[in-house]
Amino acid sequence: MEIDGQELKSHSFKFDVLTALGPSTPAARLGKLSLTGRKDINTPNFFAVSSRGVVPHLTPDVISAHAQTGGIHMALEDFVERSRTSTPPIMDIHGSSPLHIFSALPSPFITLLAPRRTPAVAAPNGNTNTSITIFTSTGFQVLSNKAYINYISSLRPDIAISLADVPHGTTPGTKRRDKMADRTESWLSSLLASRTNAHTTIFAPILPIDANAQFEYFNHLEENATQIQGLALYDSNLLPDIPATTALSQLPRLSLDEPRSPNHILRQIGLGMDVFTIPFIGFATDAGIALTFEFSNSKQEDGGVEPLGVDMWSPTHSSSLMPLAVNCKCYACTSHHRAFIQHLLNAKEMLGWVLLQVHNHAILSQFFADIRRSIKEGWYEEGWKAFERKYDSEMPEKSGMGPRVRGYHYKSEGPREVKRNKAAWGNLGEVGPRKADVEMTVDSEVVVVSEDGAEELAKKRVAGKV
Amino acid sequence: MVSLLKLASVTEEGVRFLSPHDGSPMLLTPEHSISLQNTIGSDIIMQLDDVLVTTSPDHARMREAMLRSVRWLDRCIAAHANPQTQNLFCIIQGGLDMDMRTECCQEMVARDTPGIAIGGLSGGEAKADYCRVVNTCTGLLPELKPRYVMGIGYPEDLVVSVALGADMFDCVWPTRTARFGNAITKHGMLNLRHASYANDLGPVEESCGCVCCRKGDGALNVTRAFVHHLVAKETVGAHLLTMHNVWYQLALMRSVREAVIEDRFPAFLHQFFRDLHRGEKSKYPDWAVEALRTVGVDLLQEEKQA
Ligand SMILES: [Zn+2]
Ligand SMILES: [Zn+2]
Repeated sequence: MEIDGQELKSHSFKFDVLTALGPSTPAARLGKLSLTGRKDINTPNFFAVSSRGVVPHLTPDVISAHAQTGGIHMALEDFVERSRTSTPPIMDIHGSSPLHIFSALPSPFITLLAPRRTPAVAAPNGNTNTSITIFTSTGFQVLSNKAYINYISSLRPDIAISLADVPHGTTPGTKRRDKMADRTESWLSSLLASRTNAHTTIFAPILPIDANAQFEYFNHLEENATQIQGLALYDSNLLPDIPATTALSQLPRLSLDEPRSPNHILRQIGLGMDVFTIPFIGFATDAGIALTFEFSNSKQEDGGVEPLGVDMWSPTHSSSLMPLAVNCKCYACTSHHRAFIQHLLNAKEMLGWVLLQVHNHAILSQFFADIRRSIKEGWYEEGWKAFERKYDSEMPEKSGMGPRVRGYHYKSEGPREVKRNKAAWGNLGEVGPRKADVEMTVDSEVVVVSEDGAEELAKKRVAGKV
Repeated sequence: MVSLLKLASVTEEGVRFLSPHDGSPMLLTPEHSISLQNTIGSDIIMQLDDVLVTTSPDHARMREAMLRSVRWLDRCIAAHANPQTQNLFCIIQGGLDMDMRTECCQEMVARDTPGIAIGGLSGGEAKADYCRVVNTCTGLLPELKPRYVMGIGYPEDLVVSVALGADMFDCVWPTRTARFGNAITKHGMLNLRHASYANDLGPVEESCGCVCCRKGDGALNVTRAFVHHLVAKETVGAHLLTMHNVWYQLALMRSVREAVIEDRFPAFLHQFFRDLHRGEKSKYPDWAVEALRTVGVDLLQEEKQA
């Protein structure tokens, strides 16, 4: 099929570090990432996390109108469940950017393809020398590096993260760590040799193991630094250990480290991280939490510690005419108020989650804009300290029900899952797969509908309204 | 108030029911329902009525409900604080009994509300019965007041009801069915959850003008395959089909109005049913054929060229 409004792109990726490269101590830095035909992205910044090719709750037209984010993280495992029996539909699409075309993503947004979702569900089987295990909506599958390279060359994402041997859910032993580095290096070599990078920018993974165990891999990266255009870190703590050679330091650094709160983001920025993927935005939205934090250099110290967000399920908002966050300029905050959002959550209207998602992404966009300003004006460290004094370190507790969670979102409880449960989000581990349900919760739990819905009401045996 | 039924009890005073929020007992009187709607400030407000399912066999209870709805209408009119800015619609009751519907029409029309609703339908009655009730009521209603049939949304119900003289409708069905992965098209419903759409790279409906399907500048080019990929998994799938389905319904009613204005509504009806059943007249529903005959349109005859 040839629906493709875009010019045939001459793929050109550029990343400029705008602050002086500190030779020794890691520090926050400003940068600018540009790709032909896409929005420029000033860093530090974040890419929105998608599920099945969409930022949850946001249709492509809403993304165009209201998202300030410049890029979207997409997981290959969200597209290939049909690969065992037939052709995944996305592979039927041709043109300069099948990922954009299939997911109806507006062309200014950068696509970042990773093999797995973030966070990824732990796989029961390990990886092999030639493949990893992925989790699709119909179950676990083997993805060989060869197949992954083939997908990259067909789907032509703007940026692709090379396959990494990451054992989601277990802590690798010494032998395993050596293997991880060897495999990841060999997979990257194959990808670079395949010359898919003619259309796609390649980011090399940095493994979540200590630097000594991937020392040789780092050397390999340095030798191939002209062919890779970025680093994707599964553990941000590795940042200070990456050789501070000019070739590697100038590459953009993408965090796949799943920060649990803004404090973690601030710490990573302090280490020199450039681009983030932030699953907690979506967790907050689904939990009915409106994020409210801001990064500023205001000196006022009264008022005690503030929460990072507000639980919109709380009945205290039932008649509040306040915006979700006082200074927020997003569509939800300028068009609606807390009472309406709460009303929508109570009625299980999907619009409630749409507005929260628009707002929560806007809060992060503003957070990063203020951080960039602080680096430019030289008060980043100060702002970071002020932030830690001003706000809770963890997200507020979730109280209400979210839209339904699907099996491919969360599954088994590996060690990583346990770690995540300690976060204030709680309960994720309890949300097991519920594949038997076919309709969405938002549909089956409607309590109050207008009189014209009497038919459905009667079936559901609940009281009607005026 | 649709008294549903084991959960609510109706007395002359009003309707008692348990709050869907916290289970506490509530009493809704005609006065309170109007006061709430005055506060909300909508352009159209509805009387509180006593409704039974049309298929109820209890003739005495049906008559009681109809007469009570008339008395409640009087209380609603008396309680209405903003008659200059908000339009109170009465709601005709009387189940499937044409005498009762007639009596209700006469009583309510005499109260001279700005608009008139036909209520109690879409509760599982036969389509032929539904059409008879609409036909009976519209025949008794004044020309220059809007006639609103409550709870109607299937495309064939809409066009037939318009032919029978109705003006306005409302229904959750287009959006509700979207959440189940169903796309409304002029050739009928497509359940995009079906595996046959997994690799279908066509638009939801060819030549549809909605934000998902339309071509040209800024087109999203949403495909059936993409909706299939999302449906029942991400809310975005439901949103996309909601936009398509609501567009379909609005475009349908726009084309109905154009056909009426251009005096070619019978031809429109022929085309509508031809599209819906791919020209197979044997598949046309009897109730629609019968109902349209009462207004001089015979779907099974060759259409007369004007
Ligand atoms: Zn906002
Ligand atoms: Zn459409």
